[in-house]
Amino acid sequence: MDDVIERIARHLRRPVQVDPALDGRVMREISALPTPGGVTMVGKAWRWLRRPRQFTLTPLGGLAAAAALAVAVFLYRTDATSPAPPQVVSRAFQFVLVAPRAVHVSLVGDFNDWDATRTPMRQTGSNALWTVVVPLEPGRYHYAFFVDGSRWLADPSAPVARDDDYGAPSSVLTVGGGGDS
Amino acid sequence: MGIHSVGTSDAALVRRVQTGDTRAYADLVARYRDRLGRYALHMLGNREDAEEVLQDAFVRAYRSLARCDDPERFGAWLYGILVNRCRTAGARAARRARRFVYDPAALETAPLAGPDGRAEWDDTVRWALARLPSESREAFLLKHVEELEYEDMARLTGAGISALKMRVKRAREQLQAMLKEAERV
Repeated sequence: MDDVIERIARHLRRPVQVDPALDGRVMREISALPTPGGVTMVGKAWRWLRRPRQFTLTPLGGLAAAAALAVAVFLYRTDATSPAPPQVVSRAFQFVLVAPRAVHVSLVGDFNDWDATRTPMRQTGSNALWTVVVPLEPGRYHYAFFVDGSRWLADPSAPVARDDDYGAPSSVLTVGGGGDS
Repeated sequence: MGIHSVGTSDAALVRRVQTGDTRAYADLVARYRDRLGRYALHMLGNREDAEEVLQDAFVRAYRSLARCDDPERFGAWLYGILVNRCRTAGARAARRARRFVYDPAALETAPLAGPDGRAEWDDTVRWALARLPSESREAFLLKHVEELEYEDMARLTGAGISALKMRVKRAREQLQAMLKEAERV
């Protein structure tokens, strides 16, 4: 490296001391926030599902996979000749929770990757009701309320998810083309 | 060199935070405060903006901790957030400067001292660094000051390795020219 550049780099590499009071300011600010990744079991399961993996295929298995892929491509191309599917339309859903003593409530579910930071709920005038409106396309969604950074609540007014594999209570909402349940 | 940590692993601290032990986050803040502060300071050119951006980056990282897919690489992930915050703050500061204090004549005629005196040398380096385009400054600092590999830089900045090499090369050429000019004065 050129001598001048090396001198500049060495000069800039000298340690810089930031005001340690910054730690206190950060900690004060985050103390008002919910626990991150408080998505306990569900969040872990979601991360587990998203983790890349390696699969080993025998030659026979590889042939079978290739054949399945060829069939899928054939079916897709056959389907591609049919008219374009109707446009998917989102509909707005209001989620409501009665939680008079809660300080912070988030809605978490399949629609926001169970991320407790993405859909915070707001208190209404009475302070007992927490609400949020979310646009949803037709489909089946699991969801729950995440209260004060530590508690999971299923929606008391909705069916409980029977096929919940993650151990945390959740509810299920099915959004149809014309109705929901 | 990558972005590493010592003592209790970052991953262990991140997991403690995720299970509700907020105090563990203070350890992460203390661990990365000065190093990230150095980058922010050199990138933005003033301590007040640097500390504001640093605080913002730590709070944003905390909020998004659930999305830190690899807690072992918390440092690199945090660095990425800081780099982005510096870009935003830098653009804001540039707009502010254009609106209120932009004075190219003053910059051109600013006194330049040779590297004999430490304070003068410090002023000269900061002056030269501030004159680099922000993308070149970012690349130069990550490569030659933070000593990251190009692969790490690409992950942090979203830029391609060839583009980063070009930015570093240009930054070096510009700095050399500016510093040589300064030494002649």
